[in-house]
Amino acid sequence: MSADAREWILSRLRSAPGRGQGLPQRPPLPPLSAFGSERALLVDTFRQKLEGVKGEFHQVEDRRALCAKLEELFKANGVRRAVAAADSVLAPLDLARWAAGIGVELRTPADFTDPAAFKEALFREADAGLTGANFLMASTGTLVLAHDRGQARLISLAPILHIAVAPADRVVADYEPVVAALYESSGSIPSQTTFITGPSSTADIQATPFTGMHGPRRLVVIVAARL
Amino acid sequence: MDIKTDRFRETVRKELVNPETQKFLGFFPLVLSAMRSATLAGLPDSEAALASAAAIRAEAVERLPELLEEFERNATAAGARVVWARDSEEANRYICDLAREKKVACVTKGKSMVTEEMGLREELEKAGIEVWETDLGEFITQLLDLPPFHIIGPAINVPVETIRDIFHEKAGLEEPTNDPVQLGYAARKFLREKFYRAEMGVTGVNIAVASTGTVINVENEGNIRHCKSGPRIQVSVLSLEKVVPTMRDAFHMLRVLCMCATGQSLGTYASFDTGPRKAGELDGPEELHIVLLDNGRSAAYRNPKTRDALKCIRCAACLSVCPVYGKIGGYPYGWAYSGPMGQVVNPLLLGLDRTEDLYGACTLCQRCKAACPAGIDHPRMILYYRSRQAEGDSELKGKGAPWSGKALHRFYSAAVRNPALWKAMAKGLRWAANRYEKDGKISKAPGPAEGWFRSRDLPRFPDRTFHDRWKEIEKTLERGEKP
Repeated sequence: MSADAREWILSRLRSAPGRGQGLPQRPPLPPLSAFGSERALLVDTFRQKLEGVKGEFHQVEDRRALCAKLEELFKANGVRRAVAAADSVLAPLDLARWAAGIGVELRTPADFTDPAAFKEALFREADAGLTGANFLMASTGTLVLAHDRGQARLISLAPILHIAVAPADRVVADYEPVVAALYESSGSIPSQTTFITGPSSTADIQATPFTGMHGPRRLVVIVAARL
Repeated sequence: MDIKTDRFRETVRKELVNPETQKFLGFFPLVLSAMRSATLAGLPDSEAALASAAAIRAEAVERLPELLEEFERNATAAGARVVWARDSEEANRYICDLAREKKVACVTKGKSMVTEEMGLREELEKAGIEVWETDLGEFITQLLDLPPFHIIGPAINVPVETIRDIFHEKAGLEEPTNDPVQLGYAARKFLREKFYRAEMGVTGVNIAVASTGTVINVENEGNIRHCKSGPRIQVSVLSLEKVVPTMRDAFHMLRVLCMCATGQSLGTYASFDTGPRKAGELDGPEELHIVLLDNGRSAAYRNPKTRDALKCIRCAACLSVCPVYGKIGGYPYGWAYSGPMGQVVNPLLLGLDRTEDLYGACTLCQRCKAACPAGIDHPRMILYYRSRQAEGDSELKGKGAPWSGKALHRFYSAAVRNPALWKAMAKGLRWAANRYEKDGKISKAPGPAEGWFRSRDLPRFPDRTFHDRWKEIEKTLERGEKP
């Protein structure tokens, strides 16, 4: 059926009257944000935008300060078990060993061979999901995650708390560098990329807004000067 | 879903006196509209951004067949299966057969107008498969068997008491509560088990990218992400006009869509799929099926006068500014698409004969056209539908005006072109209308004019016409006197 349908649809579209008189002139895409590329300004804009969509922002100096902040967040939220992505930010930090030292079981995708066990862990066991981020977009306060084995989709979705960590040099002004890196370079395109702007939210009942509808109730982003 | 476009008038009468509807219409469209303006005002050059969006849509529609082929090639290369469907029936059959063949017992769905249009949920249920709408608003409308009230908030008008009772009955709500937040969390808990168990996730597509073969969804709740993460099969239904040339075009459209729909600079979650999960990945679908749906769109495309309807990105900016939607809400439009968007799209997909009251209910005030980021001229299209309906049109299923209506308009057309006849008629009508005057007002008239007076009055006509008085004034002036 599909091959016939394909020809039927395409031939009807191709032979439509009044086509092929040349394309309309396209104006260039206008800039969407009007701020420079100075690092501190980008980070500050990101913070403002993130807080505007009910995200929480923290800034730390280095790995040590990051661990202190994580410990504080784990305590405050009663996190005993968590899953951390093995992405380009978190993998080199080897947080699992550190977490064991403070009594938190932190597992990574490498601990799972069976997708069913992974799903079970994320849906039923994890109190929090930890990820890095490929980029932080300042103009909208957005976290960009390119999914692969290390950055599995459910880590940033199923647990009630999502903590994301990124070095300050990953903050960009807008989407151009993101599109260039993920969709226009010679590397392979990720199976899925997610742009996260705030915690899961809805206002579908009587226009009453609240967070944590199907995804995380809290989104915490920690930007580190160096890691 | 059932098509109820022919019950427009009776539903309007009910909705005009429905306090829940009127309560929401009193602020919801205004708030959405204000949020849209505020977010657009934050752009360095919002006019250029909107002009650019309209240009992208114009190019996408102009190059539609080529872009679809390019999209198909790239999506297939990424491992997706692209399936073409001439109509809803073909699309539904493919998806139901797929579910049966793969032994799917439970399907979770993301909010999508195109699957509402197809009636996919009903077809899957008929095939014995458990289907759950997972957007909170859609979940409520599914349980209550209601059509969407608004494309953004399908159940925003439903009172908490009704939601409490239906959740208690059908969604495992243990402690009845009137707190919207607690009701939301009850739905979270209930649907989480469905996400865990579902073997198939079905979503629509907001934007498809030709140059990469990517499909994009945007949402706030995370239910669409769940539909695309846990289940082993993903079906993305793509209404064929949604393809754009490049990823940069797509991102621009995505931001304009979010700004115009809800006033957000970006929805909470935008997820971009290029093929199914890759080897070694722990989640995401093993199979990605993209169903490309025509269902009347190629027919609309073949008429240059109706082609522009395919530019629509379903942002619903037109709903928030429409004075008619603002009084009657979404139910009277009787199908997946309401407001000016529905007035433009529904007649093309269903036929002019079944949707006469929809394109009839327009004041031609032009606010929808001004708000539209895709560059659609709704009033022009609505006038075109009215003319095709009056003259009769086999393609668009315009049934032709009745003999009496045609005769009346022919007579009117002759009369307005003949000054003597016009003047005589004007005099005659004044005399006739003034017979119904009471206390200086005319509030009713018999025959075909009765409806006009249902919600309006006219002041009594002066005995002499403007032309008569003007002649007199001229004479006075000629005599050198002051009129």
